[in-house]
Amino acid sequence: MSAPASNAQGAASESPRKFADKSAKGRLLAAIRMALRDESEAVHHNVQHHNAARYRAISLLPDYQQLKDRTRAIKEDAIERLPELIATVEAAVKRNGGHFHLARDAEDAARYTTEVCRRRGAKLAVKAKSMTTEEIGLNRALEAAGVEVVETDLGEFIIQIADEQPSHIVGPALHYSPERIRALFQRVFKTTEQLESGEELTRFARERLREKFLAAGAGISGANFVCADSGTIALVENEANIRASCILPPLHIAIAGVEKVIPSRKELAPFVELLAASGTGQPLSVYTSIFSPPLKAPLLDAPNASREFHLVLIDNGRLRMREDPQLREALYCIRCSACLNSCANFQSVGGHAFGGATYSGGIGGPWEAGTRTLEHGRFSELCTGCSRCLPNCPVRIDIPWLNIVLRQRLNQKDASAGAKMLEAVMPGLPREDGAAPLSKIFFGHYDLFGRWGSRMAGLANRMGKLGASRALMEKVVGLDRRRALPPFAARTMAELCRAERPAPIEPARARVVLFADVFTNYGSPCRGLATLRVLRSLGVDVVVSDSLPDGRAALSQGLIATATQQARRAAELLRDYVANDRDVVIVEPSVLATFRLDLGRLFPDDAGRKLFEQLRTCCFDSAEYVWRLAQRERLDAARQFPAHRLQLGTRLFYHSHCQQKTVGAATATEELLRACGFDVVTSQVECCGMAGSFGYKKDFYDLSMNVGSYLFKQVEEAERDGKRVLVATGTSCQEQLHQGLSRTVYHPMDLLAEIAQPLMLSS
Amino acid sequence: MFAFVAQSPVMQLVEQFEAAARAAAARVDRVPRSADAIAAAVQRLEPGAKRIAIAEPMDVDAELFSACRRLPGAFSGGGKKEFAAADAGLTDVFAGVARTGSVCLDIDHEDAGYVSLLPRAHVAVLDSARIVARPADLFRPDVLGGAGLTRNFVFITGPSATGDMGELVRGAHGPHRIHVLVLV
Repeated sequence: MSAPASNAQGAASESPRKFADKSAKGRLLAAIRMALRDESEAVHHNVQHHNAARYRAISLLPDYQQLKDRTRAIKEDAIERLPELIATVEAAVKRNGGHFHLARDAEDAARYTTEVCRRRGAKLAVKAKSMTTEEIGLNRALEAAGVEVVETDLGEFIIQIADEQPSHIVGPALHYSPERIRALFQRVFKTTEQLESGEELTRFARERLREKFLAAGAGISGANFVCADSGTIALVENEANIRASCILPPLHIAIAGVEKVIPSRKELAPFVELLAASGTGQPLSVYTSIFSPPLKAPLLDAPNASREFHLVLIDNGRLRMREDPQLREALYCIRCSACLNSCANFQSVGGHAFGGATYSGGIGGPWEAGTRTLEHGRFSELCTGCSRCLPNCPVRIDIPWLNIVLRQRLNQKDASAGAKMLEAVMPGLPREDGAAPLSKIFFGHYDLFGRWGSRMAGLANRMGKLGASRALMEKVVGLDRRRALPPFAARTMAELCRAERPAPIEPARARVVLFADVFTNYGSPCRGLATLRVLRSLGVDVVVSDSLPDGRAALSQGLIATATQQARRAAELLRDYVANDRDVVIVEPSVLATFRLDLGRLFPDDAGRKLFEQLRTCCFDSAEYVWRLAQRERLDAARQFPAHRLQLGTRLFYHSHCQQKTVGAATATEELLRACGFDVVTSQVECCGMAGSFGYKKDFYDLSMNVGSYLFKQVEEAERDGKRVLVATGTSCQEQLHQGLSRTVYHPMDLLAEIAQPLMLSS
Repeated sequence: MFAFVAQSPVMQLVEQFEAAARAAAARVDRVPRSADAIAAAVQRLEPGAKRIAIAEPMDVDAELFSACRRLPGAFSGGGKKEFAAADAGLTDVFAGVARTGSVCLDIDHEDAGYVSLLPRAHVAVLDSARIVARPADLFRPDVLGGAGLTRNFVFITGPSATGDMGELVRGAHGPHRIHVLVLV
């Protein structure tokens, strides 16, 4: 209908629609390429803006944690009692004079809605943004029945005329830059109007849409919440298009998933305070409408006509999700988008790559899998498990875990012949994990390769550099050949520490077991040795544990059975030390996260939960432990570790590990380093992009480097006035920084071990 | 959980409300409880307004809107076209929220829903005694007689806005400006 977009500066050369369905394997990779090329810049700009605004907004909520406890409890209860609540809301809506329909599936919902419009003679429907109606493909059904449908949310308006799927559950068009919106409007509306500023673009769309509002025969909205006892719906927005869609036309149809039902209006309280703050980062959105339709206010221009209201609640797979002990948790989602905005991968590609036809981001995988098929959740592969969404979810959904579960289920489907052979070679591999693709098994068993690599370090490291062997590794297990492999150390951390003569400690200030996690033990043993030296310099009695895998690597690949087996052995090992009055110090933050967070999921039985509770409060990050000890013993950090003694200099750039932030162990490192006298600039990115093994994979190398580029830029900015020493806590973060900037990267303990002074007790 | 709410003195809530509403791009003025003062404020705030839609107040004394009804271009009632063409709309609101600077408007009371939505600017009259501490208070049966649990209403926090066209634009499908007159 329109001329080729030769003048459409920046117009995407491929329609994102092509990649909406990612159930087939290659689609995800093609979508990542498209998104990195066409959409990354606008997505990053807009998503970062929401992310920063959210951190500000929640800092103003003094009872943020209690509010989240409350929302979580309300959702757990509501989903548990869902069938009963659906019956209650049906009765309430009818009592209010409205109509109610429970739709089995997308087709049922679309048919019912179309029929209601036809009966009322509505030829034009104004529509408020609703992901649920995207899910059921309502617009196509209405148009097929001869009803003109106009999306009135300005973001939805853009993607409707561009014929694209939403790239974000709150800002469906935030992959569009103003330049691309201008080009789109000029192409579609053949206009010569001046459309330079956001103001002018908004006016242009508003004028077109206002006519539609005044003429519409039907208004179609979603509902953020549905209150069962009164038939009340709550709708949250900024533009006033939802208010207009609900109040102006004589017919109002509200369409929502069944999971939106909560018991009554009073339960709205914590949600109203959390939703906008968690999403766009506003204290409240401009409009939060709360009403029990049909409204009583007389219709304009037809004061004697009566209003008609329909509530359509949609199942479409949700009741099946409710029966699924793992996916049920996804039903607690209130679609605020905090998990999208706080996700480093999402910030780089947005929902056209990290998303399906409707739902996107970390929570999107479980939703696409639940409302379509498991394979439609395949893009959940982009969840690295970095866990930054976890503390930001207003209903405390364990999104990384849901994605691990999807990965496990997809592993079973993707079983390869090579993996079956591997099963014979690795007899310890639990049967249910044995069928996983070879790549997953490779990346899930760092411990095996670490042990082998360390024993034959010379050979392993040479192989890691040889073109031929790298090509083979790329082909067989998907390890990108552009990545330098972190060298295996010839002597493990356990061996180095054993060679260290224990200093006499009389009396010991504290008793610690230093866990020889596999990443430190085989990959970066010097960090482990440095930690030992720092602790001993403070008069701590330290023993070093055996090296056991904790399950982290296996978990990240969806090998849940392997991870559980490994975690249990490691937990039992550490428990014996804890029972013997030792605290546990862990160098690798992702391993710390296993003991502080993941064990609760991996050990659902009573004995397991007890083990988790025993360990959770006794495991510490290295710098966190040193900082706590210094405070408890009133040690002067500046005297114990005088920054000016460090030959490298006192100016640091510190990047904390994603999971270290999530378990609350990141700020302690900064505080300790500052107390020692260092000048510390901290990175402001959620994750470095390497995220364990993610960035080593051939499929995700470009994305990983794109995420990393924002970290590299921050280093550059921090160094405008001179070089800084690069400090990072995670092994993979260190590698990402090292490879991206070709610089040496230190662990905080490396620095402190260099400058440690004999113990000086305060008088 | 919300026990501290009731003890806050009124003026402290007014001040908090003003700061939060301004942060949300609303304009806030304290006005004495008189019909003439309200009419003068409307003229001062929207000097160019030729057509002023007025909704029957529900929670403040109807007499307080009497001088506004005599302003040039003031009208009540009408159809979509009239409200859409109005330069300003005057309504009362039944609650204010100190933490967020929001006002709560009953959308089901005659024309209030339209008058607060379709004109270019919205002037909302709020009784200072009806400011609560936080949004959650609207869902308590002991606050404002449980109005938030029974009424059909909307929290309004600043003028309608969008970020979908790049930068933040104030004035999307609803009013471009909102003024709150706090009766003291």
